[in-house]
Amino acid sequence: MDAAKLKTETITLNVGPQHPSTHGVFHMILTLEGETIVDLEPVVGYLHRNHEKLGEGFTYLQYCPYPSRLDYICGMTNEHAYALAVEKLAGLQVPERAEYIRTIMAELNRMVNHIVSIGFLLNDLGAFFTPVLYCLKQREKVLDLFEMASGSRMMFNYIRYGGVARDLPEGFISAAQEVVGSFPGFVDELEQLLTENEIFVARTKGIGILPPDVAVDYSCTGPLLRGSGVPYDIRRVDSYSIYSRFDFDVVTRPNGDVFDRYMVRIEEIRQSTRIVEQALGELPEGPVMAELPRTFRPPAGDAYGRIEAPKGELGFYLVSDGGDKPYRLKVRSPSFINLGALPVMARGYKVPDLVAILGSIDITLGEVDR
Amino acid sequence: MLGLGIAKGLAVTLNHFRKTYFGSGPSKGRGLFTVQYPEERLAPLARFRGSLAHLADPETGGPRCTACRICERTCPVGCISGIEGEGRGRERRATQYLYNIGECLFCGLCVEACPFEAIAMSHEYELATYSHDALVYDLRKLAEIGKKYALEGKEEA
Amino acid sequence: MAALNDLFLNLQRWFVGLLARFLPDWLVMVISMLVVSVMLIVTALVIVLWLTWLERKIVGRIQDRYGANRAGFLPFGLLQPIADAVKFLTKEDIVPREADKVVHLLAPVLMLGASVMLLAVVPFGKGMIGADIDIGILYLVAMSSLSAIGLLMAGWGSNNKYSLLGGMRAVAMLLSYEIPMGLSIVVAVMLSKSLSMQRIVEAQGGWFGLRWFAFFFPVGTLAFLTYFVSALAEVNRSPFDIPEADSEIVAGYFIEYSGIKFGLFFFAEYVNAIVVSSVATTLFLGGWQGPILPPYVWFFLKVFALLFVMMWFRGTLPRLRIDQLMGLAWKVLVPVGLANVMLTGLGIAIFRALGWA
Repeated sequence: MDAAKLKTETITLNVGPQHPSTHGVFHMILTLEGETIVDLEPVVGYLHRNHEKLGEGFTYLQYCPYPSRLDYICGMTNEHAYALAVEKLAGLQVPERAEYIRTIMAELNRMVNHIVSIGFLLNDLGAFFTPVLYCLKQREKVLDLFEMASGSRMMFNYIRYGGVARDLPEGFISAAQEVVGSFPGFVDELEQLLTENEIFVARTKGIGILPPDVAVDYSCTGPLLRGSGVPYDIRRVDSYSIYSRFDFDVVTRPNGDVFDRYMVRIEEIRQSTRIVEQALGELPEGPVMAELPRTFRPPAGDAYGRIEAPKGELGFYLVSDGGDKPYRLKVRSPSFINLGALPVMARGYKVPDLVAILGSIDITLGEVDR
Repeated sequence: MLGLGIAKGLAVTLNHFRKTYFGSGPSKGRGLFTVQYPEERLAPLARFRGSLAHLADPETGGPRCTACRICERTCPVGCISGIEGEGRGRERRATQYLYNIGECLFCGLCVEACPFEAIAMSHEYELATYSHDALVYDLRKLAEIGKKYALEGKEEA
Repeated sequence: MAALNDLFLNLQRWFVGLLARFLPDWLVMVISMLVVSVMLIVTALVIVLWLTWLERKIVGRIQDRYGANRAGFLPFGLLQPIADAVKFLTKEDIVPREADKVVHLLAPVLMLGASVMLLAVVPFGKGMIGADIDIGILYLVAMSSLSAIGLLMAGWGSNNKYSLLGGMRAVAMLLSYEIPMGLSIVVAVMLSKSLSMQRIVEAQGGWFGLRWFAFFFPVGTLAFLTYFVSALAEVNRSPFDIPEADSEIVAGYFIEYSGIKFGLFFFAEYVNAIVVSSVATTLFLGGWQGPILPPYVWFFLKVFALLFVMMWFRGTLPRLRIDQLMGLAWKVLVPVGLANVMLTGLGIAIFRALGWA
């Protein structure tokens, strides 16, 4: 009997919203044939918290605590994007020392985000929490640095438009140098644990391939795009802040599978370490905040501030009508846009692969649902 | 050779296992990374943003707050309310100050906005209560927290 | 020393002597067998309870943390398993509405029963064996296939797509790994020329442990490794725990079980792990052979060494996908097992011709 003529039925399976490996409250409706995925429909909105409407009700200063709650794992980069947007709108000039401090914080945050992402990818693959806890242990050291500078471990409220909120405390630079010095050893240990592990390689090579033209069509950015071979990094292409002064490589890998995205993240941690070391060495003296009027009213107009967040391109689009509150605030979040490519990547693979693919896109539900 | 990658990974974890018995770390249990809360506690760093606190005036011992309400206007959430004061000019002092810790974001914008350095973010983080009413702190309680915070030694303003 | 070695045998002789004074022979035999069975089951379950505690501590230490150390007044959290057992006993027993009640109920019973029955032929020490039958190996291989039925019943009887997925994966996996396991057992049988468990242990005696089959390079080591990998798959432990992959299909085939039924599954998994380690010790690591210490202490030391390796694997390795698992079984382990058997046979024939064996 010809296999193609056998009548089969597809089953519909709901993955989530309460699921251990969907990185948050994320719901997928799968259509399965046996174990192979035929179609996938993502359902989002379980964590919607009205960031964009809140932006219209607060003044520019009052909104400052909120961007770090969008993507709570890398809060500094979110605040950086918002600050860039407001500075473009009002034409503010940021002092040198503040730019260096911002770069240090943003790159430290990138390192933290990548190790957390790798740890949770391994958790989804089944390595019962061990890589997660090693990564979280390393993250604790960086969080101590953040607490030293800003006062909080996760919702920083530190990078503001015009500069940073406060100057670095004493002892920060030596502590930061120590933490950054411990990163290469940690990344080497992680690579030894994972990169040549036959089981890990068998679970991730050739899975979830995203061709580069499809990636560009779906507006994917970040490690997702660079893992498919497209060398697009906003820090190079549309250089903001002072990134043009630092010496770092843009990491790309040729295939577009889960293993390559993991390797892109590992290499990016190393490149970020380079940037932070250079910035710590060149930190100039000076003020850390531009002179701002008491009531901040930027002129009418609009501005789009975008940065290379660890997950992709994060952009804030601000429209001002001359008042002290924004008229419209729109967040272009990388996780939400990258998720659009999930059905394309997942068709034809099996259910365990789906979990690996989702882990490699690296989403945070706070950002997807805003 | 097949299995070499797995063997390397296993060596890494065995190394961690060995180090927890013979290494060093923040807890009493040698190379372990966790501390046994609540018997051992990690101290928060200097700029840690915990609960709000009212600082005392070194001459009078009372609050420095003049009930100007700048903090109430700056707060994004509106957790500060019911501010009243008596006296005029430089002699004005607050008599009532309500702070809802259930709504507070712990962002610290109020502290930055206060022109008299009358409030600060203390290091209190064990804030759980059994009822909603206990979540609203009044001036007396905030002054208590402030006294405890001042004893620990403030960092630079 | 000799008194300590024969402690349990002397106890048994005293007990039988006590009963024989006022009971007929056949009744004495029945009662003593009952007592031995009950003792075996109770010992197994007690060890399983503290094995869960040990697993949490070991995996915790691998992850740079303490593990469970808070329950109760004993230090190191030694009362944690008691707390877990009480929790299982007091939870509400929920049966899904459309589930097949008989199948749903019998599945954990079958799984635990199949595992515990294997304990009867494991030699814990010199002369300490539940039932010294001449074909212990055959009994072993036959009984270890029963747990596959238990899994399938659990997966089907819960009326849940997730558990059906888990059950199907589990059965496919278990049946595929029976073959490499059987082939490696055949090697041990050929090397010891007997199917009885006691005689296999005795064939590994002498020469300070160098005669253990695991050190018989190359066939013995290969057989030991094949057996260990197949055994990991048989008991659904990492990296082969895809049927209960709790990050994908949220607990797989026992997703709808609660209360004591879940507890029975939990215990069955650990009893399986102990049984499989005991069989590996018996067949390849010399069973109870060892100097100075009493034989049963040596036996448990070896079993715990193998269990430590299992927990170490669990804490480190990600899990394999189901088709990769099957590929490993059919494309790697079965050819290796067959080649191993052939090599052993060839070796024995050559040795016999040369007059060495």
